[in-house]
Amino acid sequence: MANTEILKKVNDIFIDILDNEEINLNDNTTADDIEEWDSLSHIQLVVAIEKYFKIRFTSKEIQSWGNVGDMLATIEAKLKSA
Amino acid sequence: MQNLLLLLAGYIFYAWADFRFLSYLVGISLLNFYLGMYIEKTTNATAKKWLLYAGLLQGIGGLMYFKYFNFFISSFKSAFQSLGINLNVHTLNIIIPLGISFFTFRTISYVIEIYKEKITASRDWVVFFTYVSFFPCILSGPIDRPQKLIPQLEKERVFNNSQATDGLRQILWGLFKKIVIADNCASFTNNVFDNFHTIPASALLIGAFFYTIQLYADFSGYTDMAIGIARLIGFNITRNFNYPFYSQNIAEYWRKWHMSLTSWLTDYVFTPLSIALRDYGKAGIIIAIIINFTICGIWHGANWTYVLFGFLHGCYFIPIILRGTLNKKKRIVKGQLLPSPVEFVNMVATFLLVMFTLVIFRSESIGQAFQYFGSMFSMSIFTVPSLSIFDIHGSKVIIIAFFIFLMLIAEWLQREKEYGLQISNVKRSFLRWGIYYGLIVLILVFIDKQETFIYLQF
Repeated sequence: MANTEILKKVNDIFIDILDNEEINLNDNTTADDIEEWDSLSHIQLVVAIEKYFKIRFTSKEIQSWGNVGDMLATIEAKLKSA
Repeated sequence: MQNLLLLLAGYIFYAWADFRFLSYLVGISLLNFYLGMYIEKTTNATAKKWLLYAGLLQGIGGLMYFKYFNFFISSFKSAFQSLGINLNVHTLNIIIPLGISFFTFRTISYVIEIYKEKITASRDWVVFFTYVSFFPCILSGPIDRPQKLIPQLEKERVFNNSQATDGLRQILWGLFKKIVIADNCASFTNNVFDNFHTIPASALLIGAFFYTIQLYADFSGYTDMAIGIARLIGFNITRNFNYPFYSQNIAEYWRKWHMSLTSWLTDYVFTPLSIALRDYGKAGIIIAIIINFTICGIWHGANWTYVLFGFLHGCYFIPIILRGTLNKKKRIVKGQLLPSPVEFVNMVATFLLVMFTLVIFRSESIGQAFQYFGSMFSMSIFTVPSLSIFDIHGSKVIIIAFFIFLMLIAEWLQREKEYGLQISNVKRSFLRWGIYYGLIVLILVFIDKQETFIYLQF
């Protein structure tokens, strides 16, 4: 999957889980930018992403993400190696 | 150098408060300083992990020993006694080093962040030792993360007039909350909690209310002073309170009460737990939250009351998690003068939930807490309490209630500001100075009562 496609899918997941149509993610988006994105919703987002892409993150990977770009990079790497 | 002075001042301050444990403080600073460097240098993944564990063991081990050893022994003992077995174990005469719960969390955060490669290990021992023992915060926080404080220590601080003025203002506000509100509330909550079996239920209810306000005024007052003092010397310390009583649900409350602790626990307890339990859906999140807040409770001290306090708060999250509305933040519109009726009801409901747990928090034992509740939920709740039972002048209760009201209104109007007295935008200087002098006068009037800070014991 191309990076832009991954971003689009992740964006859809965010819109769905956080119940906010106006979300428009980019590589630099962080939890500070989106009101609904906190530690409680974060784990739901991770689970939804894992389910959708049929991948599994390690705890270390999840905790290493600083922004959406980091997340996308990990997703891409997982899909490539799958 | 600036930092050396700061460090020495910090140690003198700490030694003056409790010199016995200065050696412990210096010792753990030294240990973690070297641990940090070794964790960073080591390339072997297993070795790195074991070094991290060493740091965690030291921190948590120290806390366990000083704070909880006797608690474990006596709980263990009574558990066996209830089975008819008498264990020959004794509690030790252990004294708790002042501030240990706070500075230990700073060192633990430090080694974890180095392990995660989020920060580099400090090469300057003066900087690091000062980070651990930063004197405005050493006794009761806020708990700064290394990435927030260490860079500030590494830069030279230049005196900034507006920053210093801001600091002084915040100190003034903190003093007001502590001396005028918290200490006065204490004079009768102490009486209420000491004599609750003889006091009518309505008074117990008022006592619970006043204690909740007292805890807030005491701790946020101390915090304002700590942050204000830090500002005076050029530092920007992490916030600890964001007007928690205007929260509309318990999730929002914990985002605004003792923020540095909540965020610490979120990063180092809740997040790894929720990740590990993510296959169990909502149940997983619930378990993670309950464990998180039970630990939050226990952190406060070695008593089952704190365990129950924390556990209850974890349980308060269950409806929010189940309903799934945790993602919908009900924000009160900026600049709105009054909350809407719904918002107000939510705020009161959240306050009552918290107040309920604080009766447990304040009680000497769970048994006592339930006796308090038993007495409170009785018919005498409709008795108007005679003010003499509060053991102080009747008029004083009215005055205190008035100041509480004043504080709540002031902080409500200032809720977008960093602290209640941030009035630099008030144009008329006579107005600002009128307020400052008013507060100073009030503080001087009430300053004879010397109560220690509640959070000093944690």
